Amino acid sequence: MATTAVPTRGTHHTATAPSYQSGVWSWLATVDHKRIGILYLYTALTFFIIGGLEAVLIRAQLQGPNRELLSAEMYNQLFTMHGTTMIFLAIMPLSAAFFNFLIPLQIGARDVAFPRLNAFSYWVYLFGGIFITLPIFFQLAPNAGWFGYAPLTTREYSPGINIDFWVIGLQILGVSSLAAAFNFITTIINLRAPGMTLMRMPMFTWMSFVVQVLIVLAFPVITIALVFLLFDRFFGTNFYTIAQGADPLLWQHLFWIFGHPEVYILILPAFGLVSEVLPASSRKPLFGYPVMVYSGILIGALGFGVWAHHMFAVGMGAIADSVFAVSTLLIGIPTGVKIFNWIGTMAQGSIRFTSAALFAIGLVALFTIGGISGVMHASPPADLQQTDTYFVVAHFHYVLFGGSIMGIFAGIYHYFPKITGRLMDEPLGKIHFWLNFIAMNLTFFPMHFAGMLGMPRRIYTYDSGQGWDTFNLISSIGAYMLVVSTAIFVYNFFRSRKNGEVAGANPWDAGTLEWSIPSPPPEYNFATLPNVTSRYPLWEGNEKDMESARVNLQEGKTAEQLHIVLPYSTIKPLIVAGAMVIMFCGLITTKALIFVGAAVLVGSLYSWLLSPLEPEHH
Amino acid sequence: MKGNSRLRRLARFGSVAVLALLLAACAGQYPNTTFEPHSDLGRAIDFLWDRLLLLGTIVFVLVEAALLFVVFRYRRRPGNDVKPPQTHGNALLEVIWTLIPAFVLLFIAVPTVRTTFNTQAKVAAGALEIEVIGHQWWWEFRYPEFGITTANEIYLPTGRTVNFKLTSVDVIHSFWAPQLGGKRDVMANRTNYIWLTPDSTLQPSVWNGFCAEYCGASHARMRFRVFTVKPDQFASWVAGQQRPGIVGSAPVSPGAGAPPAGASPASVTGAATATMASNGAPGYTFPQNVPEFDYARPNGAIPDGLTFTKGLTGNAGRGQRVYSSAACIGCHAIAGNPMSVGVVGPNLTHFGSRSTIGAGSFPNTPAYLALWIKNSRAMKPGVLMPTLGKNEYDPHLKTRVTTGGLDDQQIADIVAYLMVLK
Amino acid sequence: MTAPAAHHYTSTGLDSRKIAIWAFIGSECMLFVSLISTYLIYKGRSLVGPFPHDVYTNPAGETFNPILNIPVTSASTFVLLMSSLAMVLALAAVQNKDLPKHTRGERVLGSSKLWLWMTALLGTTFLGFQAYEFTSFVHEGLSIRTNLFGSSFFTLTGFHGAHVTAGVIWLVTLLAIDYRRGLGPNDALNVDIAALYWHFVDVVWIVIFTVVYLLK
Repeated sequence: MATTAVPTRGTHHTATAPSYQSGVWSWLATVDHKRIGILYLYTALTFFIIGGLEAVLIRAQLQGPNRELLSAEMYNQLFTMHGTTMIFLAIMPLSAAFFNFLIPLQIGARDVAFPRLNAFSYWVYLFGGIFITLPIFFQLAPNAGWFGYAPLTTREYSPGINIDFWVIGLQILGVSSLAAAFNFITTIINLRAPGMTLMRMPMFTWMSFVVQVLIVLAFPVITIALVFLLFDRFFGTNFYTIAQGADPLLWQHLFWIFGHPEVYILILPAFGLVSEVLPASSRKPLFGYPVMVYSGILIGALGFGVWAHHMFAVGMGAIADSVFAVSTLLIGIPTGVKIFNWIGTMAQGSIRFTSAALFAIGLVALFTIGGISGVMHASPPADLQQTDTYFVVAHFHYVLFGGSIMGIFAGIYHYFPKITGRLMDEPLGKIHFWLNFIAMNLTFFPMHFAGMLGMPRRIYTYDSGQGWDTFNLISSIGAYMLVVSTAIFVYNFFRSRKNGEVAGANPWDAGTLEWSIPSPPPEYNFATLPNVTSRYPLWEGNEKDMESARVNLQEGKTAEQLHIVLPYSTIKPLIVAGAMVIMFCGLITTKALIFVGAAVLVGSLYSWLLSPLEPEHH
Repeated sequence: MKGNSRLRRLARFGSVAVLALLLAACAGQYPNTTFEPHSDLGRAIDFLWDRLLLLGTIVFVLVEAALLFVVFRYRRRPGNDVKPPQTHGNALLEVIWTLIPAFVLLFIAVPTVRTTFNTQAKVAAGALEIEVIGHQWWWEFRYPEFGITTANEIYLPTGRTVNFKLTSVDVIHSFWAPQLGGKRDVMANRTNYIWLTPDSTLQPSVWNGFCAEYCGASHARMRFRVFTVKPDQFASWVAGQQRPGIVGSAPVSPGAGAPPAGASPASVTGAATATMASNGAPGYTFPQNVPEFDYARPNGAIPDGLTFTKGLTGNAGRGQRVYSSAACIGCHAIAGNPMSVGVVGPNLTHFGSRSTIGAGSFPNTPAYLALWIKNSRAMKPGVLMPTLGKNEYDPHLKTRVTTGGLDDQQIADIVAYLMVLK
Repeated sequence: MTAPAAHHYTSTGLDSRKIAIWAFIGSECMLFVSLISTYLIYKGRSLVGPFPHDVYTNPAGETFNPILNIPVTSASTFVLLMSSLAMVLALAAVQNKDLPKHTRGERVLGSSKLWLWMTALLGTTFLGFQAYEFTSFVHEGLSIRTNLFGSSFFTLTGFHGAHVTAGVIWLVTLLAIDYRRGLGPNDALNVDIAALYWHFVDVVWIVIFTVVYLLK
């Protein structure tokens, strides 16, 4: 039956499609969402390791009192870059790797809505990431924190080139995130396979959708805040100029209106991944699916109404403090519901402790701690003792490491076989998990104590006798252990890619669409667009589901044989992205570069927009 | 059974360990702890904290217990290939576990809002107002009621409400003395307030204060000290501070306080033959070198290569002349020295009475002060104060000071001058 | 974007470009909300003049009149509103390209080139007004560096002007295609998307005009 390649809607035109290629060029010119996802994965893992090494240097400096491993300047650059790297260059793009690879597979699509725009997003991210990361090697890195509070970031107080890299780099990365968000929103709304209704979408796709909406609404705000800063620094405007009467809170409000949704942009994809891993590992559908959807939407929506809880110490007054305290506490409800539903998913299940499952369970355990400490500083008076101390550092590492990173590791172990066709080594994975779990708690739990015992954040040195020495030493030992556990992961990743056990289409016996096609999936994903009649087509689907699944399991067919039209490979998105970054570089080098970059940008953009995406249909 | 009791033993051990840590956190070895408040504001916060910790611990234990129970109870046994019941959810359960967090949060929200309004209410009449002005990277404190300007040290009378009026001349800072209460941001173009009352039962004590908002290169070295003293001691301190800083004739024994052994390659001793202010005894100052308050004595090391000639003796009178003709007067003010009216740097009128230099970076002893004047930029990253010692390397300008630099004798004289300004 | 061919299967039946442009407009809304909010926050906070609605006398005794010229800007606002009308006609002309046209009036209304030209010209006229306004402000002593009003005013209206400029370039591109091979019903979606963008930029200007020029 498979060989007849039932023509379905979207495939009934003959065409010559490019076949799967290899070599460097094929990667530079790829518009295939899976390959772009893999590019995101490798790039983001590289930045994750760079950001981790930055953290290790920070911990080495703080290991004991009055240490002089790093200068104040170097320390300040490192903590700024650690935050910036982990948020914008590691966690967001790691999520983007999954958006790219998984969303079309989960909704039964052949690609994203705009494949070339997708490639563009990746190249902008890569170039922007390099742009903002390189200066650290010349001790010229941004040094005002990832939050970059004005007026510290204005020319008057930061005359060097450091902050220029930060302003321009974040602006570039914003373009990447926004372009990707338009693309995924459209993809999820418009490219779902027949029968894939919104309330049948896998939870990862749902959470990704919420995240894209958050990006679309939150990133313009930081864009404008950064434009103001850029204008202040380069053209002498006064948005943050104290002497002209500027409001020092303008930046903070704009930044956190972006910054708090950003927190959910970082965590919701991990929630989504865990919501895939736990059902597959427990052999049970997600518990309370509609509630999980609504709570995700609610978390995202409330996320826009709580930004000022980052500002309880700025003196907004009791009324504003109370309003933001209550709205922040409210977010605790949908978050708690999610935790309970994950536990409900496992209850009465048959839980198999794969590495992925362990990391997912780890997320539930650790995020709970971060959630509880989050509620603690939702109370403005209590927060006056917590904000800007190590207590907050502990909190957001439980949320971002215990939450996002654990979830992403769960996702990597779970989807590695789909991406590569091979399984990651399970014993090594379990060693990685336990070492990671212990080291993570060793690193971040003592920070709660250090903070409540009076240790401020972002200090490069501290006197002995302050009661912080032991806690800092334990934290540093934990950080060194994290290096070991991450090294084990990297070793496992590369070894398994070459020599791992061959996985087959559905090694976990999971129920969603992406497991109905071969691993790794063919270029066209689905030989026939599936018919979907339930949330877990492979578990509870009817004959229609099963039939499309059987067709899609076939291997070795080319797109040509199946008469599937695939988009042309093209390097134009890469050129446009490169030209844009060159244009921005002109701001800090020679103005001529701006014109060169702009000329190439316009030329290549027109060439891209006027050339066809895919072969002509007849 | 056996595994069960072992689990229980483990749990008991765990809770004992956590308790021990908590208890230890309240003991004296944690000088900046927020768990032991000494003011009304601190106690109001601590009350909330206790409730948050209690509720948080209960939620933590219940959720993690449920998680562990489910994970162990429903693990896949070897050979078990039966598909579990395919439940999709339970409306009643969803309602219950929506209501539980809502209920818990209500118990937090009510006292939170109440405390938020109480602690930000209008300050009671008769409060002592202190203007706090943030600078990169030091604190200026003014007592408008007494006409006093000082730096990096606050004296507070116990039992009297103090209202801090917070502004900045540059970037955003945050004013925080953990044992007295929460922090409040300090910024330009906006005036903030935070008020608190140090307990009237408090014995004279010193507390560490910090800048809590990242403010640039030396954010870590923007500290201050708060001395909570008895009202009569405070009155005496005020009287002393209100006098101008004038050099008299009575000799004072050479200053002590060499850097700790091993901290500096060259130990600098007794730099000053100082004289005391002529117009009567200085006011009360908090005694230094009390072991109980050792935590308030900075203990950072002196950078390598920064040394001072041994055995030099300074003369305060000569020092005043050097000081008054050097760059110092451009930035510093000393009431009583008509030449010295700068406002960029800390007011030095009673510098000799202070316990630290460089905003809590080093103890205020002649030895440290000499090195500080010689090359403050090597001792504290980013400071505005120029490197003054002749042939010293200025880390900002990346050159050596050749013209106009002070030699060690001149610095010793300035040290002698500043140290008599008690 | 020339792309996903219309006959690809989509879940909503709509072309993906249409959904993407709405997402894009949502994002643009937040961009302008941020700009306008900042303008409002800084309204009346400038330490020195010129001011938008008040007379300012500097320490040297020079007097600066209120800087906003409401009659002139009302005219340019009218021009931009008319361009939206022209855009509507241009889209209709492209959609109805294949309908037979009998009268002269039908031929005029059905000329996509004419209405695209008209839209682009009116847009350019609006930009001309803005250029005139900016230069006269600078002559009167208000630059982007002068005060908080100058910074927030020029940035807000400049951002809007940049959007209009991008729109004009877009229209000119469509015109070029129209001259090369003629725009027909198959291109209606491309023109529709450009029109959506153009109307959005127009609506934003109404808000800016109200907030900046009319609110005292």
